[in-house]
Amino acid sequence: MNSLERVLAALQGQPADRPAFLLNAGLYGARLTGAPLAEHYRDPRRFAEGQMAIRETFSPDLLISPFMLAGVGAAFGSRMSEPRRNPPNVAAFAAPSAEAALALPLPDVDSHPQLLYLRESVRILARTYAGTVPIIGLLASPLDLPPVIIGLEAWLDALLFQPDAARALLDRLTPFFVALGRALLADGATALAITANLASPFMVPEAIAREFGRPGLERALADLPGPVILHHGGCPLLPHLTGFLALPNTAGYVLAPGEDPAQAREILGAGPLLLGNLDGPGLGDLTPEAVGERCDHVLAQRGADHQFILATSDADIPLDTPPECLQAITEAVCRAGRVPI
Amino acid sequence: MNRDHRQELLDAIQQADRAGANAIIQDWAAGHSYQQVVSDLLSPTLETFGRLWAHRELGFSLATGYVAAKVAEDVLARLLEEAGARGEAQATLKGPVVLGNVEDDFHPLGRKMVGAFLRADGWEVHDLGVDVSPAQFLDAAEAQGARVIGASAMMYTTAKNAAKLREELERRGQAGRIQLALGGAVFKLRPELVATFGGDGTAPSAVEAPALFERLWQCATAQRGEGAP
Repeated sequence: MNSLERVLAALQGQPADRPAFLLNAGLYGARLTGAPLAEHYRDPRRFAEGQMAIRETFSPDLLISPFMLAGVGAAFGSRMSEPRRNPPNVAAFAAPSAEAALALPLPDVDSHPQLLYLRESVRILARTYAGTVPIIGLLASPLDLPPVIIGLEAWLDALLFQPDAARALLDRLTPFFVALGRALLADGATALAITANLASPFMVPEAIAREFGRPGLERALADLPGPVILHHGGCPLLPHLTGFLALPNTAGYVLAPGEDPAQAREILGAGPLLLGNLDGPGLGDLTPEAVGERCDHVLAQRGADHQFILATSDADIPLDTPPECLQAITEAVCRAGRVPI
Repeated sequence: MNRDHRQELLDAIQQADRAGANAIIQDWAAGHSYQQVVSDLLSPTLETFGRLWAHRELGFSLATGYVAAKVAEDVLARLLEEAGARGEAQATLKGPVVLGNVEDDFHPLGRKMVGAFLRADGWEVHDLGVDVSPAQFLDAAEAQGARVIGASAMMYTTAKNAAKLREELERRGQAGRIQLALGGAVFKLRPELVATFGGDGTAPSAVEAPALFERLWQCATAQRGEGAP
């Protein structure tokens, strides 16, 4: 089986030669290619080369677009930090409030350089791995775009104290999100992985999550012509999973590190993919043997669940993670499938 | 019928009702002095709130913590206004402390909330903002006479930079004399990292930062062989 077949089997709940796995290794690609981070996060060719090196070295079954939400913020006028050891972040926001952000022009997904960087990365990977490896486009849902345009504090202010401005901004950003999502799918992304932190009761009061977040998310996802994987985005997902059930086009869920896949499956039932639950940023703190043991444990636990995909979750795998720790994941999935590495 | 203002205030904060919370405080202050709001109403309520929030009780979100910080800021603003009307400067009751996000960290919300709760508790807060180098932290702490530095990081990758801050404290011979409080999402989820990266303490939520800073200030004072400031 190739990787695409393996992932399609998981989608259909069919057995595969071995479990599929995913590494959140957008940043780590730069370690393998030796590209300076500024270049890695500016030149789509360099980023794609990083993913190719990841594929060559560790054989993950899914590759990813740049996980660089700050770049989307920059398309609206936010200023990005220089990446030193991590992906760029937002150093200064494009507008001070939701109300002020309403006056910002929407960036054109077909011409803005920051967005073309994302799109071209996907195009290169999709061309390179057509029919063999799924490519996942990483995006923030419209609910999570304001934190990179006006900052989390100003967005909370709007959600809590200026609901009309919050609604107006969400209405303005939703078509942009849909346009970018559609473009990435048209560029060759097999699916989109999105965060929806500001629709989670971990972040906002239950009433806002229920009456504002969830409907906003439904509206945005319904307009996407492709599958979506909901990523925990740094918030615990399991305690709030029931609030995210049956979203339009949603084919899977990425659990936070350490969250129990068995419990999640019980809530989800058969059907959606379940991804997780390795702590990507913390892998380097473990020996390769310990990483292997953790993988063995979760794979054994999910043995009968053909719709489980082993994945590092949380932020990017750090640059200083020993490659042996990632190799240990590859070896564990091969052991689980009893196929040669 | 006697009103339970503490419970009402807790409920209002939990419902993210900032205006309602301020109305409850106003009502309480009408029967007391506004000067007593912090010690007799706000602090005990925030203590309860912090406990529930830290235990991830349902109904307590980041946003409700944010509302609690805003309510604390509102009370502080009112106190400053009243002191100004009396022609007095609002005295800070406690010592100077330094806050900032560690190098490479650009997530200010938690730090700002900690600053709001510390100010409401009477601390003189020097907030250095985001992406603060170890040298900047130490320069500011030494210049201000701060005995506690509060460093915030949201993610594991940036939290590692707290270890550099610890190295700078050691290099300048300030270890112990200036205590290092570490906070932020990653330390809340993995409190064992506080020791790993050289922190002297952490608090499970921003609301509980004043108690932590109090304790760390006392440790620094004892280390210097001095009495309380």
